[in-house]
Amino acid sequence: MTDEPTYISMDQIKALWLIRSGFHGEMNAEIIEADGESVLLRMPFNSSFCVDTEKDLIHGGILTAFMDSAFGLATMLAMPGLRTIATLDLRIEYLRPAKSRADLIVFAECYRQTRHIAFNRGRVWFEGDDRNEVAMGFASFAVTRGENMLMFDREDKNGEQ
Amino acid sequence: MVSSKNLQNEIDKIPFFRFLDLQIMECSDQTTTCTMPAAERIVGNPYFKNIHGGIIASFLEATASLTVFDRPVEGTPKPINLTVNYLLPAKMKPLTCRATIVRSGRRIAVVEAVAWQDDEEKPVAKGQFQFLLV
Repeated sequence: MTDEPTYISMDQIKALWLIRSGFHGEMNAEIIEADGESVLLRMPFNSSFCVDTEKDLIHGGILTAFMDSAFGLATMLAMPGLRTIATLDLRIEYLRPAKSRADLIVFAECYRQTRHIAFNRGRVWFEGDDRNEVAMGFASFAVTRGENMLMFDREDKNGEQ
Repeated sequence: MVSSKNLQNEIDKIPFFRFLDLQIMECSDQTTTCTMPAAERIVGNPYFKNIHGGIIASFLEATASLTVFDRPVEGTPKPINLTVNYLLPAKMKPLTCRATIVRSGRRIAVVEAVAWQDDEEKPVAKGQFQFLLV
């Protein structure tokens, strides 16, 4: 026995993020790369996220939501021993119209972690066109530390019922 | 100014607004109020059953855009940037958002939006949005 805390593993965090329920099921995104400091994710085109009748212009809110989820994953991977995580704020710039039916790619990194706050930045582009980002964003998260994530307590509890 | 009913007809044609199930409650020259029901497809955290933060930003942005929906001569207002502060977790209950024009010039509009669930005095999120009108 050691006194080392047994933090949730990176694979467990990734599996948690890849759960196909709720909005994560709708986004249906996959992890291309996630190394603990940054993440690279892909979201397939989905016509119900469009704002035009021709169905090739993605609503900005979807870029924002995709980045928010990516920032959450980046933070969880960058900070072992996270108990809770909550978005404090999101700041997004829409650099050009998101007009394409290509898959969306997001790069997100948790570039600074303090005791209470995780700072994130990221960018979004259409696959194959990484020189022409459609959006950039920043987010900060309020975090609390602990050996295990609060949501896994719930899972255990549910499992016992 | 378009009526609530006409505006609802317009937004019902927009796939993403149908995805959000956006319903217009009220609209005037400066202000638009919308609701969005809770639904499984907008849950962020499957363990706590909170509404996804990114979707709350989408709902705020969608409502904010409706305050200037008829302003561009062609097309719809183009979002430039946004800032959203999250104040409380959003539970599986309907959300209401009121968006108000702060300033609307010839080219740029600045719109504030606030969203709440049970109590307007306890908002779950507030945001500021800028739109290009040309």
